[in-house]
Amino acid sequence: MAQKRNTAVPYGLVLPGFLFSAAIILWPLFQLGSLSFGDVNRFGQVLGFGGLKNYSAVFVDPELYASLWRTVIWTVSIVAGTFIIAMPTSIILHRDFYGRNIARVIIMLPWAISLAMLAITARLALNGESGMLNSALIFAGIIDENVAWLASYRTAFPMQIIVGILATIPFTTTIFLGGLSSIPQDLYEAAKMEGANGWQRFRRITLPMMRPFVNIAVVLNTIYVFNSFPIIWVTTQGGPVNTTDILVTYLYKSAFRFGKVGEAAVLSLIMFAILLIFSLIYVRLAMKNERGAQ
Amino acid sequence: MKTTIVSWLVLAPLLAFCLFPFAVMFMSALKPQTELYDPRWIPSRLAWGNFIEMWQATNFGVALGNSLYISTVSTALTILCAIPAAYALSRMRFHGKQAFRGFLLVSQMLSPIVLILGLFRLLVLAGALDSKLAVAMINTGFNMAFAVWMLESYFSTIPRDLEEAAWMEGASSTLSLRRVFLPLAIPALVVTALFTFVNTWNEFVIALTSLRSAENYTLPIQILSLVSGRYSIEWHYVMAATFVATLPVAIVFAWLQRYLVTGLTSGAVK
Repeated sequence: MAQKRNTAVPYGLVLPGFLFSAAIILWPLFQLGSLSFGDVNRFGQVLGFGGLKNYSAVFVDPELYASLWRTVIWTVSIVAGTFIIAMPTSIILHRDFYGRNIARVIIMLPWAISLAMLAITARLALNGESGMLNSALIFAGIIDENVAWLASYRTAFPMQIIVGILATIPFTTTIFLGGLSSIPQDLYEAAKMEGANGWQRFRRITLPMMRPFVNIAVVLNTIYVFNSFPIIWVTTQGGPVNTTDILVTYLYKSAFRFGKVGEAAVLSLIMFAILLIFSLIYVRLAMKNERGAQ
Repeated sequence: MKTTIVSWLVLAPLLAFCLFPFAVMFMSALKPQTELYDPRWIPSRLAWGNFIEMWQATNFGVALGNSLYISTVSTALTILCAIPAAYALSRMRFHGKQAFRGFLLVSQMLSPIVLILGLFRLLVLAGALDSKLAVAMINTGFNMAFAVWMLESYFSTIPRDLEEAAWMEGASSTLSLRRVFLPLAIPALVVTALFTFVNTWNEFVIALTSLRSAENYTLPIQILSLVSGRYSIEWHYVMAATFVATLPVAIVFAWLQRYLVTGLTSGAVK
């Protein structure tokens, strides 16, 4: 009797949390699957079986490849740009100096702004005539006349990437700081005794010890940035003429603007598959870390 | 001394970058109506009244109430379901434990945008479109993995002996849970709850897609509705609202900063 009760208890404990997650993941996934094979009208009603119609419509659309390519540029630039800034920053923030806590807090601050509101602020700051970035840059002598940053692809997309980097730095710096504080201090002292200089200590101690944290930060950032919707949606809605669309904005437009519900379902499943691959990479890295730690 | 000066000098550009959006918000919020389209940073006078007029002009109170409601309900549901799940994961052996972990991991990777079309249909089918409670529940599903993860990694650091000692004293397992275990876990619960709250507070896609009528809008959606598809945007009110909506979160983050470093890394790397 007691035996029986014991085996049921953990399932009972896990069940409520599982049900919540399952309801919002498995059921919509099932819906997406059936929509993708359906003959769906623009109001989302399934009229019958559509076979691979939606799939072929998505795969012949040049917009898919354009936004896929832009998603790659978007993700790689933000993840790499953030890494290049966050690594030296966290090393400085790890050393003791006067006012360090204030500096740490300031670097965490962009995290507090919701992405939608950050993007709204960017829309104001990047405005051609009344934008405060223009007046700051003219004041600093960097540009001579106003630039309408969001009006053309060539300036809008890089600016969106910069906003994305700003939003990603706090989380990444936090992970790196945690990594740096996990490195035993006596390693550095021993290296100093052996006569290793600062660069050697960084190459031989800091970098290898930080590997697991760097791996995790890179994989998680890749997933977050790949999924990131508000920055582009709020600043340009993928415009002008779809030139700043990435997969997520293209998906949202197909589903809720253009009424291509079946094709949007296919796009969702493509994104799901890509994310599943990222998750597998993450699991492998995390398992490696665990083994490394033992 | 030298380290201090060098550190601040090297960090200066990044610090300016991080403060830039706050400066834009704050300075724009203080502009008088007549200088809205003047790109200068310093207005001719500081219109502090904007912060009060904004309340009416942006319908701030209603949106604030909605955001508070959705975030509170979602946080409560998340924590209530995550505590038992995290406890089972950290203390018990059972079949399917690894599968459950894998499921949580995948759910952590998915963002609402990927499933939004399916979620939308779920809401339509359930007749729950434009329902704040439904938005809170969907958020709960997406917050669950992180909360379970975070709590599990803290729970595992609480020594088993403490509970066992309570059992020896004759306490039932629920009593020892309530009197011994949970009090020790309070810091972790607070951090996890705040994180869940902020996540929901800032959530965009679910609210954008499912909330239809203006009286149900959360803060990000309400503020977005004031700048999209309008001929003239009252930027001073919009920025005042953005600033006021962001400030409490910024204070929480500044205060939690220390816990974030240890909490996130133990959760992420384990």
